[in-house]
Amino acid sequence: MHAHRLPLLLGTALLSACAAQAPSGPQPVVIDFALLANGHPARCGAPLGPLGADARSSTLRDARFYVQDVALVRADGQAVPLVLDHDDWQDGQVALLDFEDATGTCQGGTPATRTQVRGQAPAGDYVGLRFSLGVPEALNHTSTELQGPPLDIAAMGWSWQAGRKFAKLEVNPEGGVAKADGARAPSWYLHLGSTGCSGNPLTGETVACLRANRVPVTLRGFDPRRDAVALDLSSLLAGSQLGRDQGGAVGCMSGPDDPECPAVFARLGLDLASGQPLPDGQVPALRVVPRP
Amino acid sequence: MTRRIGRLAALLAGLGLVGSALAQDWAWPLPSHVPAPRVPADNPMSAAKVELGRRLFYDPRLSGNGTLACAGCHLQAKAFSDRTPRSTGSAGALTHRNAPGLANVAWNATYNWANPAVVSLERQMEGPLFGDDPVEMGVNDGNRATILQRLRNEPLYPPLFAQAFPENPEPISMASVIRAIAAFERTLLAVDSRYDRYLQGRLQLTAAEKRGMELFFGERAECHHCHGSFNFNDQVVHARTREVETPFHNTGLYNLDDQGTYPFPNRGVFELTAQAQDMGAFRAPSLRNVALTAPYFHDGSAATLREVLRIYSAGGRDIPEGPLKGDGRRNPHKSGLIARIDLSEAELDDLEAFLGSLTDLSLPHDPRYADPWPAGYRFQPTHTQEAAHRETAHRSTSQP
Repeated sequence: MHAHRLPLLLGTALLSACAAQAPSGPQPVVIDFALLANGHPARCGAPLGPLGADARSSTLRDARFYVQDVALVRADGQAVPLVLDHDDWQDGQVALLDFEDATGTCQGGTPATRTQVRGQAPAGDYVGLRFSLGVPEALNHTSTELQGPPLDIAAMGWSWQAGRKFAKLEVNPEGGVAKADGARAPSWYLHLGSTGCSGNPLTGETVACLRANRVPVTLRGFDPRRDAVALDLSSLLAGSQLGRDQGGAVGCMSGPDDPECPAVFARLGLDLASGQPLPDGQVPALRVVPRP
Repeated sequence: MTRRIGRLAALLAGLGLVGSALAQDWAWPLPSHVPAPRVPADNPMSAAKVELGRRLFYDPRLSGNGTLACAGCHLQAKAFSDRTPRSTGSAGALTHRNAPGLANVAWNATYNWANPAVVSLERQMEGPLFGDDPVEMGVNDGNRATILQRLRNEPLYPPLFAQAFPENPEPISMASVIRAIAAFERTLLAVDSRYDRYLQGRLQLTAAEKRGMELFFGERAECHHCHGSFNFNDQVVHARTREVETPFHNTGLYNLDDQGTYPFPNRGVFELTAQAQDMGAFRAPSLRNVALTAPYFHDGSAATLREVLRIYSAGGRDIPEGPLKGDGRRNPHKSGLIARIDLSEAELDDLEAFLGSLTDLSLPHDPRYADPWPAGYRFQPTHTQEAAHRETAHRSTSQP
């Protein structure tokens, strides 16, 4: 018991040393995440540089997403679930990553940030990481006002779909976004979440969705001691015209008929029509980078 | 302090809220042809909760900038609908759709104009409270704690929240706010119209009302297919419902491109599903008190009941010019129940007379539904206090 607690107290720096002493017990594991634009960390206050197929100078407005089903992969291919710590950013089933600090060009956010998923896994050498962008179905349709952290964030609620935004990634391209109706909007939005949901009026609960829109991610060659997961805005938006919106929501709010959704869904490895992952399993917008 | 206690005692006495009478003190005053509504198990009715909900419904402190109450867009005199086609949110932006009336809203199977996902009043309320496209009430993570503090600062609220949620040690939360307002909304009954009294044998309808009723329930006008329940719609759930259908209908109001397209972002259930058969499909609203709820349709695009009836008589709406140009009568997704029936002016008169008999005048006049706050009440946020509070509310969390 004492041996198991020791690494928790000493923190992750001693992970490997402790692992050698207690090879079978759960060890603290930290998965670092980074938000990148043009090869640099994307922050609220600093210019992001040119983004999108039309290379618009942009600033950040919001950057938050949920992950679920986090697992480390052993050399033999076995996936070992990461048992998530419980705190204000994660419960047992879902973790919130939050790169906005409500300063500068960011709007509607929270001052605190969180760029790690923290949990416990058996000691050992891991060579890969799996997780999904998303909120588990059983939790997705709960109320932000009844659920505990991290599902209590109103901004991540998606009331018209009776669920949550899995990802809320928003940028302000210089000059704004010219809309199809001639108006101009300041921000380009990506809101990812399950769509086409329906409820059961007899229970008052939302029960099924036509399109899950969860993004399963497998990263090979990932060692949590060395590596971090990067969500790269340059890659995510590489096929998107940020300065001009052809219709529907400004940007992509997961609308299957939104002209802006095909490009960005492709970068997430999702089939827009079905809401299922594309067969090749690739998610170009995410990749392994060295830990900061 | 003495004055506060006196006010509260008077309030509670007026409600009959004394001692053990507080628990399970709710009964539905319904005629025999109306079944009791479904009430969520986790939000039982009580007189204290309904009174709390009424105060919150009329309280602009519930909006982010303290300027707008639920009642700002749901006016009692209009059967809790709004006067205008679209309503103005607390930050000045227009809603996408017409604020629906709330008469008998407890029996809805789904809420909003076209949303199969939203099946309770509690969930519906998250739209106007937290929505940001457009901002309506403007509650968000940054001001939620501040708003709850405003409520704590109102002497009437802490004891009312405690009475309404006796099992909850920290009853003042946004979840409680939502539950209380939902409980109040469930009490907005329209079940004592001339038509109800006719059903009960208490009065005779006029000759015109009777002719209109026969048209309404007949196979020529066919109104009853979508408005045929006791609540004059076709999505009803009540306490003993075992199966519930939630149909949505395209009634031929638009046809932008001869493919049947409705204007974004008002394409009905299609906005959620993107399935062709859902294009322009909206919920048939209850016609209870419909004479009071102009303008009509999901976007408030018909100014009068007569205009609505003329459109249905024509089998849809032809818009000959302008950005919404198109012949909705030929919308390929239009319901098969909407056909050209060429009602005469006399028949339109009769139908309108019958629809008028569905008005329960207690709804727009009953003081139990009225604004409980003193006349001319205006909330003035004390900026220094709220700024100080915000400093400590770095990250708002809901009550456990």
